[in-house]
This record gives sequence, structure tokens and C-alpha cells, in this order.
Amino acid sequence: MRALSRIEGLRGASRLDLRAETRLLMTVAASVSSLAISEPQALALLLSFSALYAVIEIKPKTLLIAYLFMGVMCAVALFCVWAMGFVFPIMRNSPMSMAISPFLRLGVTMNAILPLALNSRLTDLATALGRLRLPGIVRLPLMVTIRFIPTILNDLVQLREAVGIRFRGRKGFLFWLRRPLTWWRVFFQPLIVRLIRSADELAMAAELKGLEPGTDFGRAPRPFSARDRATMLLAALAVALSGLTQIVVGSAF
Amino acid sequence: MKAKTLSWREAWNGRGLFETRELVTIGLFSAAAKAASLTLALVGGGMNPLTLVLKSAVQSALVVVLLAKVPKTGTLTLSNAVGMLLSFLLMGQHVISLPAVLLGTVAVEALAWLAGGLARRPWLAIPMVAASELVVRLINVGVSYLGVREQPGLLAMVIVVSAFSYLGILLGLAGGVKMAKELRHAGLIQD
Repeated sequence: MRALSRIEGLRGASRLDLRAETRLLMTVAASVSSLAISEPQALALLLSFSALYAVIEIKPKTLLIAYLFMGVMCAVALFCVWAMGFVFPIMRNSPMSMAISPFLRLGVTMNAILPLALNSRLTDLATALGRLRLPGIVRLPLMVTIRFIPTILNDLVQLREAVGIRFRGRKGFLFWLRRPLTWWRVFFQPLIVRLIRSADELAMAAELKGLEPGTDFGRAPRPFSARDRATMLLAALAVALSGLTQIVVGSAF
Repeated sequence: MKAKTLSWREAWNGRGLFETRELVTIGLFSAAAKAASLTLALVGGGMNPLTLVLKSAVQSALVVVLLAKVPKTGTLTLSNAVGMLLSFLLMGQHVISLPAVLLGTVAVEALAWLAGGLARRPWLAIPMVAASELVVRLINVGVSYLGVREQPGLLAMVIVVSAFSYLGILLGLAGGVKMAKELRHAGLIQD
């Protein structure tokens, strides 16, 4: 629970106040375009545009933590590749200019994902779901999932407290590491029983209320604002410019 | 009696394929998988092998119990689709791999249907989950290759992580089967 409240502290008020669909579209555009582009110059251009988007949308402290984390991960990855180069000499052959491309790609994706993950509310996502025109058999379970994640997280906290009472003074990490089957029995099995009971009760309530595949959920979506349109236009421009750089600098993937 | 013809809207919404209570159960199990993996990632750190194995074990055990509770063709695909769409909506993950993974899971379900279907042969849940999770990991490694193609050495790390998580899946299968047996014995899952 402490860790969850720490995540809450990383969230910040979005300056652009974009719709969830716009943020989703930005994530898709960043993922697809960064995979299609391979030249470091073109990826660097894409990274600077995406960093601008992240700087506007995310708290500076959060962004700094994310970049530090990414830096450490990249350093570890590079060290592993360097070490493996001694065992497999073929791995030492890729030029340094090309070796940074995966990390630039990671940066682009991270810049686009952070605003989506930290600034989107569950109700916005529920509204966006309605607009995605998904089949009813996908929409209904997806809505149940979105609605019940916080409830189940709360159940897990209660389970942890119950286990804390049962195994007083012996609930350290090493204690559970030595007894994986006990962990399974005291954490997982009560969770499953609770889940099955909840599923039966909730299903009965849903059927009594006449809920069925295809029922519409969520609020009426607010219209796309000028900010949404401008963001999407700038994103399209950034992708086009990076694509052009890719063609000019080297061969397109 | 003449069967009612479905409108295109009813057909798109999957009317007649699943009942509301089955869809609610699938949704709740997906929520549990997501909540458990979130909790384990926060408690143990996302990248250590133990957390990775544990997360995958819980996930596969949940799917096995779900398949025992809703033994229908399409349950596994729907459960995978909901889980991946949720990751996409919340974290922007699986943008590229989603269609391929869904196709792979549909193929696994088709094979299980040809082998007699889950309702008649409940043990099929084990090879189905093992095969579909293997397909998911292979596709993820393929997509990761696209991301690190200039530095293929990095792919070794992706493969190691996928191997650890698949080990967790296999361990979770055993736990899930045992759990499903106990739930049947307790009358919480009907045959």
C-alpha cells in the first residue's frame, strides 16, 4: 500500500488535459514509428519530440526518476553485451553509432507511455473503451477488470494483514522464500476462493440488472479539444520528419 | 421452433457465445492477475528472477482455475485479449504484439477444440495454457528483436527473462491444477 501511495505521488496534473484516446494514439504512434525507424539521427529527432511531449505532460521529478531508472537499465544492458562480447566475438562487431538505436527507441516509447500511465483516469479509459467499438464480449469483462483492480488490491492488503497476524514476527522475505508452498496456501488460495465467490455474486447482480454483452458503459465522451487536435497534428509532423530523416540519412527499414 | 436470426450488432457483440456470468468471471480473474502481478512487482521489484517466476506462476494458476470454472472454447482467447488490452490501455504495452498473440491463442484454442474441447476433456487446460504462453513469449521475443536489431546481444537478456517467466508458468500450472481439484471438491466449481 505504501508503494501504491508512492506511485500516486508521481502523478501530476496534466498541463494539456488530453483525452485518453489522444494519449493512446500517441503511444501507438511512438511504438510503431520507433520500430520502423533504425537510423540513430532519425530516432534522436523522434526522441526530442517525444521528450517535449513528456516534459509538458509529466512532473519534472517523475521524469527525472524515469530517466535515471532507464539510464541504469541501459548501463546494465550495455555492460552485459560488452561482457558477452568476450565469449561471443560476433557481438563486438556492431558499430557504436548503431548500438545506441535500441536505447533511443526505448526513450521514445517511455516518453509516450508515461503520460498515458500516470495521467489517465480509469473513468476516462472506460469512456475511451466505448469509443473503440470493441465487441461486447470483450468490453464487458474489460470493464469488470478495470472496475475491480482496486477492490482486489484492497483484498490483497487485507490478506497480508491476516497473514501478519497468523505468522507474527516470522513474516520476513527469507521466511517466505524457505516456504513457497505455505505462501501459496496462505496468499493464493484465499484469493481464489474470494474471487470465485465475488464472481458468482457479481454475475448474479449483473444478470438481475439486465447487463449483457453489448451494454454501453461509461460517460458520454467529451469532444476532442483544440489541444487534442494540435497534439495529434504535431505528432504526425514529428513522425513524418523522422521518416524523412531516415530516408535521407540511410536506407528505410 | 425456428431459431432467431442475430442482427449484425448482436453477432458483433458475441450474443450467444458467452453468458453474462461467464464474462464477469473472466473479467474478475483478469483483474486478479493484474492486481497480483502489480503487487508482486511493487513488493519484489519487477526485474528480479524470483518475482518474475512468482508473477508468472500466479498468472498461469489463475488461468487454469478460470478454464475449470468456464470450460468453453474462447475463454483463453478472451482472457488473453482482456489482459493485453488492459496493459495497452494502462501502460501502452503490447501495441505491436497484440494481433499476433491473439492469432496464436486462437490457433491453440482451435487445436484444443479439434482434440475434443475443454468441456469434454478438462485436462486440455494444461497443454492449452502451456502452449499459449509459449506462443506469447516467442512473439514477444520476436517483437523485441525488432527493437534491438542493431545490437542483437541485448536479445539474450530478453530471452533469459522470457525463460524465467516461462518457468514460472510451468510451476503455476501444477498449482492451478491442484487448486482446481480442491475447488471442485469444495463445490465452488461445478463439473
